[in-house]
Amino acid sequence: MKVEATEVDGRKVFSVRAFNQGIAVWLERLPTVWVEGEVTELRRQERWASVFFTLKDPESGACLSAQMPRGQFDGLRLELVDGERVHVYGRPELYEQRGDFHLRVLTIERYGLGAHLASLERLKAKLAAEGLFAAERKRPLPRIPRLIGLVTGNDAAAKRDVLTAITTRFPPARIIVAETFVQGPRAAPSIVTAIADLCERGADVVIVARGGGSFEDLLPFSDERLVRAVAACPVPVVSAVGHEQDTPLMDLAADVRASTPSVAGRLVVPDLDELQGGLERARTSLRRSARRIVEQRSERLAATHERLGRAPLLALERRGSRLEATHGRLKTLSPRSTLDRGYAIVRAGDSLVRELPPSGTALGIEVAAGSFGARTE
Amino acid sequence: MTEPEVSFEQSQAELERIVERLERGDVELEELTRLWERGEELYRRCAEQLSTAQGKIEELAKRLGDESA
Repeated sequence: MKVEATEVDGRKVFSVRAFNQGIAVWLERLPTVWVEGEVTELRRQERWASVFFTLKDPESGACLSAQMPRGQFDGLRLELVDGERVHVYGRPELYEQRGDFHLRVLTIERYGLGAHLASLERLKAKLAAEGLFAAERKRPLPRIPRLIGLVTGNDAAAKRDVLTAITTRFPPARIIVAETFVQGPRAAPSIVTAIADLCERGADVVIVARGGGSFEDLLPFSDERLVRAVAACPVPVVSAVGHEQDTPLMDLAADVRASTPSVAGRLVVPDLDELQGGLERARTSLRRSARRIVEQRSERLAATHERLGRAPLLALERRGSRLEATHGRLKTLSPRSTLDRGYAIVRAGDSLVRELPPSGTALGIEVAAGSFGARTE
Repeated sequence: MTEPEVSFEQSQAELERIVERLERGDVELEELTRLWERGEELYRRCAEQLSTAQGKIEELAKRLGDESA
């Protein structure tokens, strides 16, 4: 295509249309290239033929308009949202009517998710090797917290969920709230500061809560500084970030992981009604036990006393029967019992006869029934 | 004679030792009555301590509003 200039007063002058056409033609000769940037100002409407967005350089803020046919964009099923980092394949193009330059996009690839995931995996492995996620590091939550510290964004949902859950279960709970950034580059350091501040103010348990969000939104909760701060926190930390399926690294370092902010609220306080019921039951059984102890002692004392009453007579009886027994033994030792068995005592004069006496000796013989005299032959 | 420093458990234990000795008959005749009297005295002291404790429990329960009585 040839662009014609007209000659006016000796100079070559292009019409705007011709100039734009010329630029357009020149741009068409540039190669198709990959450009990396963050998606911002994404505009997509059903009645538009194209989807429009701006690619932004996250470091310098330099911008590049981009557009892509809506059918192709939808076909990619990327579900892109503002702030996501992408690689865009396209070539420069001029909208001749307005002289606006943009990138005509042929395809888009989400960049960074894979890279992010890989770096997260590396960080996770490193911190796990240091033992930051170890089960034995987990501390139990206080049974009744004196002061609950809550770190959350100033958006209502997560904060309200936690506060409602706590005060419903345990109305007298004391809570201090630290509002911080919960996404973007300032989130992690501001949460680290908030946790330290809450501990200093006397919190004996800290909840870090945030509602659900995109992968990128939740990235600060995998920030190494924050994960380390949670692990090093002097009081137990409850992590309640995103929904059930989200697992930022902070969850692994926290002492307790709650699937949602509401669950976190219920976890940090006991149920007051239940507590009072238990207290009442304990009081009742305390009284019952005290009475039972006195009762048992009384019964034992009474039984001992009864034994004491019988004991002296028993002792005398034992003594009496022992006397009888001794007497019996004594009796067996006396000669009378020998005579009873049919033996006789033979005396010659005053002395007992133990050898054969000469004939004609007068003997005195004693048997059980009495004595009589006799003479030897 | 009062021995406030002697605990209920000590008195009870001594009483039980005396009863066991008497029941075994392991005692001098002259000692028999002395031991018996000592046993009765220990019993009185224990019973008194128990009834004091019981009184205190009931009094406390009444003062605290005893719904569970």
